[in-house]
Amino acid sequence: MKQLIKYVLAAGLVALLLPSCKKDLLNVENPNTITEEQFWQTEEDADQGVNAAYAMFYKPGGWSRWIYFRLDLTSDEGCSKSPWIELADWTRFQYVNYNFWEGNAITWRDTYKAIFRCNQVLANVPAIEFADNTKKDLLLAQAKFLRGLYYYYAALMWENIPVVLDVSKPDDLPAQVPVAQVWAQVEKDFSEALAVLPVEWGAVDKGRPTKGSASAFLARAQMQQHKWPEAKASLDYFFTGAGAGKYNLTTSFQDNFTHTNENNSESVFEIQFSDLNKGGDGDDPNQNMGHNRAQFFAPRGIGWSDGQARYWLVNQFKQERTIANTLDPRLRASLFYPALEADFGDKVYGRNWEWGGDEAWFRKYQRDYFRSNEDYFAQNNVRLVRYADVLLMYAEVLNEMDQTATAAQYVNTVRARSNIAALAVGQPASLLGKDAFRERLKVERALELCGESVRWADLKRWDDLTTAAKVAVVAQRDPDFNNFVVGKHNRLPIPQTEVLNNPNVVQNDQY
Amino acid sequence: MRKRSFVHLFHGQCAQLRLKVTTTANVVLLLLTFFFTQSVSAQATHTVKGKVSNAKGEALEGVSVTVKGTSIGTSTDAAGAYTLQAPNAQSTLVFSNVGYAEIEMPVNGQASVDITLQIGTADLNEVVVVGYGSQRKKDLTGAVSVVNTSEITKRQTTTVGEALQGLASGVVVRGGGQPGSEARVEIRGLKNLSGTNPLYVIDGMITTANRDFNPNDIESIQILKDASAAAIYGSRAANGVIIITTKRGKKGPMKVDFSAKTSTQTTPRWDLAGKDEFVALNYMAYDNAGVPRQNLNLNVNTDWQDAAFQTGNMQDYNVSFAGGGDNGSYMVSANYFDNKGTVISTGFDRLSFRVNSQGNKGIFSFGESLAITNAKSDEMSGNPYADVVRLLPTIPVYDDGNPGGFGYGNESMARTFGSNPVAMASLEDRALENFRVRGNIWGELKLRPWLKFRSNFGYETSNDNYMYKRKEGNWTLNQAYDPAIYNENRGRFESLLIENTLSFNQRFNKHSLNVIAGQTYQRDDYGQIWGTKRNILQNSSSGAYYWVLDQGSEPQTGGFLQKGILLSYLARAEYNFDDKYLLNAVVRYDGSSRLGRDDQWGTFPSVSAAWRLSNEEFFNVKGVNDLKVRVSHGQLGSSSGLGYWDYMPVINTFSTIVMGAGQNLFPGATQVRLANQGLRWEKLTQTNFGVDATVLDNRLSLTAEYFIAKTEDVLTFMPILMTTGNDGGNPAVNAASLRNTGFEFSGTWNGKAGRDFSYYVTANVTTLKNKILNLGYGRNNIFTGTTVTEIGTPAGMWYLLETDGLFQNQGEVDAYQNKDGIVIQPTAKPGDIRFVDHNGDGQITNDDKVVLGSPWAKWELGLNAGASYKNFSLSMNWFGSFGSKVYNGYRSLVDRFDDNSNYRAGIKPWTPENPNTDVPRAFYGSTLNSRGDTDRWLEDGGFFRLKFINISYSLPDAWVKKIGFSNAQISIAGQNLVTFTKFDGIDPEFNNASMFERGVAGFQFPNLKTYSAGIQFGF
Repeated sequence: MKQLIKYVLAAGLVALLLPSCKKDLLNVENPNTITEEQFWQTEEDADQGVNAAYAMFYKPGGWSRWIYFRLDLTSDEGCSKSPWIELADWTRFQYVNYNFWEGNAITWRDTYKAIFRCNQVLANVPAIEFADNTKKDLLLAQAKFLRGLYYYYAALMWENIPVVLDVSKPDDLPAQVPVAQVWAQVEKDFSEALAVLPVEWGAVDKGRPTKGSASAFLARAQMQQHKWPEAKASLDYFFTGAGAGKYNLTTSFQDNFTHTNENNSESVFEIQFSDLNKGGDGDDPNQNMGHNRAQFFAPRGIGWSDGQARYWLVNQFKQERTIANTLDPRLRASLFYPALEADFGDKVYGRNWEWGGDEAWFRKYQRDYFRSNEDYFAQNNVRLVRYADVLLMYAEVLNEMDQTATAAQYVNTVRARSNIAALAVGQPASLLGKDAFRERLKVERALELCGESVRWADLKRWDDLTTAAKVAVVAQRDPDFNNFVVGKHNRLPIPQTEVLNNPNVVQNDQY
Repeated sequence: MRKRSFVHLFHGQCAQLRLKVTTTANVVLLLLTFFFTQSVSAQATHTVKGKVSNAKGEALEGVSVTVKGTSIGTSTDAAGAYTLQAPNAQSTLVFSNVGYAEIEMPVNGQASVDITLQIGTADLNEVVVVGYGSQRKKDLTGAVSVVNTSEITKRQTTTVGEALQGLASGVVVRGGGQPGSEARVEIRGLKNLSGTNPLYVIDGMITTANRDFNPNDIESIQILKDASAAAIYGSRAANGVIIITTKRGKKGPMKVDFSAKTSTQTTPRWDLAGKDEFVALNYMAYDNAGVPRQNLNLNVNTDWQDAAFQTGNMQDYNVSFAGGGDNGSYMVSANYFDNKGTVISTGFDRLSFRVNSQGNKGIFSFGESLAITNAKSDEMSGNPYADVVRLLPTIPVYDDGNPGGFGYGNESMARTFGSNPVAMASLEDRALENFRVRGNIWGELKLRPWLKFRSNFGYETSNDNYMYKRKEGNWTLNQAYDPAIYNENRGRFESLLIENTLSFNQRFNKHSLNVIAGQTYQRDDYGQIWGTKRNILQNSSSGAYYWVLDQGSEPQTGGFLQKGILLSYLARAEYNFDDKYLLNAVVRYDGSSRLGRDDQWGTFPSVSAAWRLSNEEFFNVKGVNDLKVRVSHGQLGSSSGLGYWDYMPVINTFSTIVMGAGQNLFPGATQVRLANQGLRWEKLTQTNFGVDATVLDNRLSLTAEYFIAKTEDVLTFMPILMTTGNDGGNPAVNAASLRNTGFEFSGTWNGKAGRDFSYYVTANVTTLKNKILNLGYGRNNIFTGTTVTEIGTPAGMWYLLETDGLFQNQGEVDAYQNKDGIVIQPTAKPGDIRFVDHNGDGQITNDDKVVLGSPWAKWELGLNAGASYKNFSLSMNWFGSFGSKVYNGYRSLVDRFDDNSNYRAGIKPWTPENPNTDVPRAFYGSTLNSRGDTDRWLEDGGFFRLKFINISYSLPDAWVKKIGFSNAQISIAGQNLVTFTKFDGIDPEFNNASMFERGVAGFQFPNLKTYSAGIQFGF
């Protein structure tokens, strides 16, 4: 019996150490961050949700890197001589692997990643109580503006895509819609944003979209659909509406591409880049807020040189001189080219010209104005819409509405900033008719806006890619267009895994 | 950043453990105690003594001596002696010991029974550890492999996993080779889509046998392969269990063992073009494309493999001290392992200590295992195996014109984006150091001879420190500028295990019953902090940097925590009637914190049975010594591969934006990664049929198994659409179900010729098929770039364009039309690849892709053979894998001419003069002939390789004794010395971790050729 007591005591002692089987023992809370359920409760949550949507500007599928390959290099202004052949092939209509990440899939993914962030705001913020509902409306309007912007560029690139307007679920298989319906959504988002956004933001918030930003993008969407009167109505904001007198061209053309004079009088909408965080481009702490364009577009030996400018631009700049009989000053700010030093006294990142005699690179957004090398953290804002662009858009709309004579003054304003004579003096032939004026506008836009990611939309809007004959003309400037198949290459293939894995999506025709 | 990686280690953090008296447990204990007290009553006994020795006449200690049909037993002491009280003079004694054939000997009234045990010709009598207990191998009802430990210790490997290759059927090992790297072990094929690593149990501690573990400490290894065998370990056992028991001291004077091994390692090399051949091919590719030739520097002739690779070596020193007395024993070991890698600036070293001890007093016994290890690896920067291929022979290793002083090509003379491995090795330094303490202590109360209570407490902790040092300078063409950067992280891992089991073991006449019931609790915690600084201070005169986080500017910091808990209740009953009928049942109730709150718990039962025909009266087949058939059916739950909180969508608060002229910083927060809430247990149901036979005087033993394993509700990170906007990894989902069926055969023949020569041959054959039964989200297939996973077929089948030779002339191009007369490849030129237009639409598009083979091996073979003659012994191990189609990523790089890389030596592209080739014309700048998604890169992945060969010589006893040793042996060995394969890469035995791209041979670190020599002695 004594033995037994000993055993029982011993067993009891051991049993003391048995952990209880309480149910909640397994309920381990995540100590790292809050859950989705706990979020979207306060004004601050709403603020941060909108900010996270802006942060998508810093992601590589979009405006920190790859989208420039789609909009600038694929157009006749740019090209790629990258030794990374597949990357270069994607700027010359040689699409083999539709899943090619850098050329296609990442931009598609980041587009929808941004839309997901906007949709979260639009779905969750309405239920949050605000002390001041104006603030709530402003947040929703920003989310709509951003969603509209992503759908605008997606419509330009892929045309027929799924339009996702609700918060995503893992098993979603959204249905593809024809491009006209995508445009309708773009117009709706920009219109609704326009109604609420302010004419100006305070100093701290400068950079968020204004009525001007929304008007310009709405007009762009309308112009792509050749809705000229509607586009004019949208652009009237800058001339007869609340935006009249708010915008001015900067004296120095170069001020539109450096980090030293951002959000200036010419800025209609620009992406706010910064080098404050020198981290990676994932969703981690210290994530990069700069862009990589400068590193990817810098000449060989300085950056990757995955993209460069077509040389016809240099020739085009040299065709018309200033009133003072000097070279167009925009050439100096726009391009690196062999005679840059001879013409303007500028070296290339401090180097003599060591590249091909018929080669050129984009100088806009490169940072040679203050450094001799490049990295992944470029802080200079990318201007998505400048007032100069608005002037040229207005001129184009007026011309299409048969008001060519009225249109000329807006082009002249842009020319005058660079000390180029008025059209009547410098290019009188352009005033002879609607078609002549349109052809001149194409040149004016290239001179003013080359390398600013508008050319792909321009070519499509001008119907320059709709017949083989027209494409042949473009191909004279950019031989990559010899590969262009009408009806096929006016939009990208949809990433193949998205087609295969979603029964509600079919591949774009001819792919 | 093009490429950027931080090491992320895993695991959790601390929570308060609630303790409580479980009164129910006490009551049960008491009841059991009273109930069974009377079962064995005293009667007239018979005392038997004796001595047990081996064939050489040496005393054997620790031999189990039991009276057949009772629980009476003892074990021999250091002199091999035993004494026991048999119930009567006609009892039968059973002698068994690990590694020896069991013997039954009737007492026949004698007072002394001496026995000589023979080395286990039929290893069925081995005692094997099966988790929370042990069984005789011959009583097994499930699928368990016992690994021959002496084969493992002969091999020179960093980890146990690497050493297991080919030693057990159904176990496939890939990887290793790289200093400090850990191999992937896969038991019985793909069971889920998230991971395959089995559970490791070391001396009862549930853990991983990672690089910190010293393989020299291993006493035995058992591999539990089927659900019924592994069921007792529950939720983490779905991929099988590897049970490792480390050496322990035995009764007797202290025994000292010392071993030293040294090895030389060489890496296999690519067969690349030399300078002249490269230049000719490069010119040809440019000329064909009409592109002006590069201005190649013909004065340079760099062999990049010479620059990046070196002869590696390994040193492994191990010493152990073991001994014991009546009431306790100890084993202390120390190990130093050092590995200089075959890639420059890589290496690994490990210092480890172990103390295992045990003791007993009365009914109480205890034991502990404690291992302390410090392991440090100097890690590889970039991937030199790819870079030596991408770099051109005309690029010099050093070039003073470049920042940092290294050559890496030049835009006009040598365009490539390969990275200079010498530059990376010099400018980047990555090191990972782990200090780990792993141990457990157990206590056992033998309440009655048939009733034991055991508590096991395990604790493991590691301090992990990763350092990345980046000096200023470039290693690739057009590289973005970076200043000197220092990144460091420190993490702490902690794992706590508490287990309590009660076991009951009783025999009644011919019935024998073992029951065990218990509870187990394991908590894992991990926490990490990291910091990065840029512009690290440099000493302007010496050029040295000050690698501390106090220096530099632009600080970045971060940190995170992980924590997971598993709580389980388990029970097992083993019933044996007359050694003829064996029945085994296990049930486990598992709870995991990683699953959805409403689905944390699952119950997983399994049952197995065996029938030993050879013990039946009616069984009288000549030559058959033992014959057993067995069947098992069981279910396991798994949550392996899941993250800690995958069931809960969270908010990512890391985005920031700037606004305004002052660059005002605003925080952002949003959901980035989608989540499926309500994640539940993945369920593996496995049925196993087995036959074990020993025939021909125990000389041939055979095991055959057939199994069907079906996994449902597979927890997988199945790709979802990009239109969801999901990022940060696909969400976990209980999606697919899949089935594995397989056949395993293992046979061992032991032979003797004459007095001094003996030999053995063991063959393991495994065939395995997996099939997808169901995919998640209602989908029928999952496509990745080159593969498709479809219902009804194995996972990851090749899905590619089919090639059909080359066009020899323009006539063939024009004649290649579909049925409507459309020329299918109108832009093709002679020498281009002809693709098959499978959908007949007259053009080659993605729609022409078809399934073109399986990446899975049809069968695998392990062959172990050994022989001994006098004091010499030879052993070798061959491993073969046959019938897989693999994608040769290397050839898809060197056999393309659109890009600038080096080329395969001897390659002859198509030219009008060289039409009889399957290599298309060389053409710079166009991917049309070099596209990756075609069957041009598929190859037969089969191989047969001599994994290991060893010759050892035991010094004659007479000499050894003279110098005071008890034994001494010298040996030489080689690993991966001979390979037969048609595969055109450096290593057909590659490891691709991606479940959907299993057969893609990229530039994985290869298996190395190793030559080693070792000495071992004891005294």
